[in-house]
Amino acid sequence: MILVVAEQRDGTLNRATWEALAAAQQLAGEIAVKAVVFGHSVGSLAEELAPAAAEVFLVEHPLLGTYTPDAFTQALQHVVALLGPAYVVLPHSYQTRDFAPMAAVRMGAPLITDVTGLTGTGASAAFVRPMFQGKLTSEVRHQGEGPRMVTVQIGAFRADAVKKGNPGRVTRLEAPIDRAAIRQTPEAPFREAKQAVDLGQAERIVAVGRGIKAQQHIALAEALARAMSAEVAASRPICDSGWLPMDRQIGSSGQTVAPKLYVALGISGAIQHLVGMKGSRTIVAINKDADAPIFEVADYGIVGDLFEVVPALISELEKQSTDL
Amino acid sequence: MPETLDVDVLVVGAGPAGLAAALRLAQLQKAHGGPPLSIAVLEKAREAGAHSLSGAVLDPSAIRELVPDGEATGIPLGTPVRRDQLYYLTERSKIRFPFVPPPLRNHGHFIVSLNELVRWLSERVEAEGVDLVTGFGGRDVLFEGARVVGVRTGDRGLARDGTKKPTFEPGVDILAKVTIFCDGVRGNLTKDVVRRLDLAEDREPEQFAIGLKELWDVAPGRLEPGTVVHTMGHPLRHDEFGGGFIYGLAGGRLSVGFVAGLDYHDPLFDPHMAFNRFKQHPFVSGLLTGGTLIRAGAKALPEGGWNTIPRPYMDGGLIAGDAGGYLNSMRLKGIHLAVRTGMLAAEAAFEAIRAGDTSAAGLKRYQDLIDASPVRAELYPVRNIHQSFGYGLFAGLAFSGLSLLTRGRWMEDLHGKAGHERLKTLAWYYGLDVPASRTSIATKIDRTLTFDKPTSVHYSGTAHEEDQPSHLLVHTELCTSVCGPEYGHPCVRFCPANVYEVVREPGHPVRLQINASNCVHCKTCDIMDPYQVITWVPPEGGGGPRYNGM
Repeated sequence: MILVVAEQRDGTLNRATWEALAAAQQLAGEIAVKAVVFGHSVGSLAEELAPAAAEVFLVEHPLLGTYTPDAFTQALQHVVALLGPAYVVLPHSYQTRDFAPMAAVRMGAPLITDVTGLTGTGASAAFVRPMFQGKLTSEVRHQGEGPRMVTVQIGAFRADAVKKGNPGRVTRLEAPIDRAAIRQTPEAPFREAKQAVDLGQAERIVAVGRGIKAQQHIALAEALARAMSAEVAASRPICDSGWLPMDRQIGSSGQTVAPKLYVALGISGAIQHLVGMKGSRTIVAINKDADAPIFEVADYGIVGDLFEVVPALISELEKQSTDL
Repeated sequence: MPETLDVDVLVVGAGPAGLAAALRLAQLQKAHGGPPLSIAVLEKAREAGAHSLSGAVLDPSAIRELVPDGEATGIPLGTPVRRDQLYYLTERSKIRFPFVPPPLRNHGHFIVSLNELVRWLSERVEAEGVDLVTGFGGRDVLFEGARVVGVRTGDRGLARDGTKKPTFEPGVDILAKVTIFCDGVRGNLTKDVVRRLDLAEDREPEQFAIGLKELWDVAPGRLEPGTVVHTMGHPLRHDEFGGGFIYGLAGGRLSVGFVAGLDYHDPLFDPHMAFNRFKQHPFVSGLLTGGTLIRAGAKALPEGGWNTIPRPYMDGGLIAGDAGGYLNSMRLKGIHLAVRTGMLAAEAAFEAIRAGDTSAAGLKRYQDLIDASPVRAELYPVRNIHQSFGYGLFAGLAFSGLSLLTRGRWMEDLHGKAGHERLKTLAWYYGLDVPASRTSIATKIDRTLTFDKPTSVHYSGTAHEEDQPSHLLVHTELCTSVCGPEYGHPCVRFCPANVYEVVREPGHPVRLQINASNCVHCKTCDIMDPYQVITWVPPEGGGGPRYNGM
């Protein structure tokens, strides 16, 4: 028997499940293809899968309602021990990548991951998988005793190639799941917030470089930025030192910006920085070193100590805003 | 347990030596039939040739044997050499040598872009069915006892702090009957096998130099295409080995460079600064002024010669090209020797695999082939040349002249000292008068003719994944406690790429900052650091310079 592990979230089958079924059918030859669904209240999914499988096993448990690697590993281990499939086929999804290696180790099962194709059927099948980020493909075979595990690369097999026939039987299986052995507590899924700051959209930028000398002086740049409603950015050494986060770095290894106004404080203007900001409409540079290359791209330049110039600028800007 | 890939022959490094080895293997397979050989070539650069840097004047003898139909099928041999010129530079003027010594005569040679030549060869190699895996560096040699059984590639997707990112992909063990190490000058894998297997026992210490090169576009007519200029003297002092080169290419393009021996005494010497000073010489600035810098790069060269080459065969392994030190420092050429040793390594590997004996005894044939080839005929007579320059420029020149007359016979072998051991402390070199500039022969950077190091890095096209562990393994505890006071942090100067930076912040102790992503993979730090506490390992594959057209 070939057992396909269906993947679902919130009662909806992952499309990759059908692709895994297609791979399993190609692999099967004369062997029966069966499927298993893990979850809580997912009976309708078993019905949905039934036309594509000789039998669908439904494993429901409250602890399978929300995915945890430990619970799913326990469930898979139990089902495989009970059914003794020749192959276990899974979609190569994030969830599979999370728990299948652990399950394979627990069961002593050889695991071939990220399969893009296969030749032959049954016990003599060979699997094609990419190596070196797809620069080479290799053909691999399982060694040792089953169950042989296979994960199928998303998109490598066609979901619409799945052969459907008379619905197979749906069989409920009990899986004892040991709550004490679950080491994870799932929290509500979330999407990582997009980049907090989009310097590309900023109309004005105050950027600091090594001339700011110490982390506590970053506040001075922030004060200037507040006074002129600008975003704070930095050249590489500042972000390398951790004085500002990496997403505020301007230059060839950071962001490229073209604001209306770019104020460079204590930035010498290495070419790596210039390529990230030279498209700015107006560039103002404040630097002690009159020979600093930043002055070659600046529209306005002040040769001077930024610790004298910036406070003066801030007080002037604040005066103007109160005047308004 | 890492994933494994089994091949018959693994070639590490897709430079001239590695690609010649792979191509020759494919040719032998075709000519002799028999069970098909699986051949893989591993290359850390994103594409073959991206890390290849040389002057370069090519002696085409070996490559014509490797690809007899090359010139009919578009091999990029560049510009034929028309004339050679040799100058001795003083600070303001130049003295032309009345004749060019035979080793520096380049009639019949070509001024090539090594980058383009390597790219062309790599296409040939791929067309022969060889698996060329670019973007993956060899991280560790795999041993079984004293036998080399393959190479493990570097992990991908590690964060700066060593933790695994979501993109993490562990390295792969490539297992081979024969591994041919062509990982270039000071290759990290060759360095490892030479030390572990004691392959340099009874050999002279290796000697190195650093070469810096820039491509310029200047007004046509400044230097006739096909002109090869070499210089000695300024800005180097007489106890410093090296010199400049200017090669005229078609269309007003110049290849300009400077080579400095990594065996200088002055701890404040800076090869990048010396290159700037060279460009400021009236002769050179006259050629470059008004021109545009196109590309820049730096790379070490193995200069030690025949007596410093390690035993190039071992159980399951061979060493070819710059990795072994096959370079003729008298002719200033190594590409043809890289190609030749690559071809001979392929022949030895092929015979050993067919005979079923890939032990050191089975692979010793490689040494026999080298000894019977033009490699030995060319390198043996000049085996003491670099070492003779250890006695100063004029002693070296006199010795070189004598070697030419006698073809290197009737001479006691000269003994060298590893370059980093020749570096003197500040106190020894300067006594109490340590210059305030912290760089000797310092000059002002004008950003049109002369450039600072970050600008040179920019023009090298260097880029690395920023969020990865440093690939420069440095025992930094020595830097500020010992090396700073004694040598004044020489890494800051010998590195041409501003990787090493001494940061002085108020209220904090002086610390060494490593800007690893600036690294142009020249290997100078691994070679020249006086305490030998810097180890260069390949960064995540695909990172590094892009020497397009260089």
